[in-house]
Amino acid sequence: MKASPTTAHETYPDTHHDAYSKTIFGFWIYLMGDLIFFGALFATYTVLNESTFGGPTARELFNLPYTLIQSLVLLFASFMAGLGGTAAHRKEKGRTLLFFSSTFVLGSLFLGMEINEFARLIAAGNRWDQSAFLSSYFTVVATLGVHVIFGLLWVPILLIPVLLEKSLSHVSIRRLTCLKMFWQFVNIIWIFIFSLVYLLGVG
Amino acid sequence: MIDAHHGWNHSYKPQFLGLTVGVIMTFAAYRIVMYHHLAGFTLIATIFILALIQALLQFVFFLHLGLESKPQWGMLTFLFTALVLIIIVGGSLWIMNNMNYNLMPPM
Repeated sequence: MKASPTTAHETYPDTHHDAYSKTIFGFWIYLMGDLIFFGALFATYTVLNESTFGGPTARELFNLPYTLIQSLVLLFASFMAGLGGTAAHRKEKGRTLLFFSSTFVLGSLFLGMEINEFARLIAAGNRWDQSAFLSSYFTVVATLGVHVIFGLLWVPILLIPVLLEKSLSHVSIRRLTCLKMFWQFVNIIWIFIFSLVYLLGVG
Repeated sequence: MIDAHHGWNHSYKPQFLGLTVGVIMTFAAYRIVMYHHLAGFTLIATIFILALIQALLQFVFFLHLGLESKPQWGMLTFLFTALVLIIIVGGSLWIMNNMNYNLMPPM
């Protein structure tokens, strides 16, 4: 779509009353709700993390260097989504595709590392039904994992229309902005998982 | 989030700032735990405050919190969410600690 005065107004709003601002604000409200959801899960974990029922504690189970790499992978995935969002606003189609594809690759790597860690724990007999600590641990981390899965599915769904467009439409820019916000939000949640679950579990 | 005026949607700079802050603070928290620089309550408080600061900075650099034009609905809803979180998380921990103390006295 050619940039006409109308699309310019839709894309770069100066009021809160256009489609772009309303969508972004609505998505922001969803993210705030999700934040409360994760807050409840963190409270559960913090209450239960010492109830190991005679089983292994966080200190014995977690592998911090592995989790540090996982953190950096997710940080770069959300950084790439941020770059992609900026590229979309600048209507740089090639870069938009490149950056969001990098998010997809790094996000998949993160998810693979998480599944691998779950497999390692379960293979050693530390399933989620072993203790209250493990139940709450698997709930918090797997809930984030589900978010990552949806974030990954979302990338090709948005990129295929972009690929078919001549230049980025304001609809695509709006959608990609939500996607970018989602990935950056997931990374903010991971900061707390890394700090409160892994670092304080070992420290 | 809603940023017509400051132009952060069109600049790559805030993204790089956010990344730098994230990498530095992640390594700082990791180092404190791995090299046993602190222990006990000081450790918990430090790691928690580091996480909080890192999250807030990422909210600003990545999600452009507080940079929208008036009326700042994004900031308002964020502050309300923070209040709900303080009540839910803080309240849960307070109550459960009290229950532990009252129901399971040291033998």
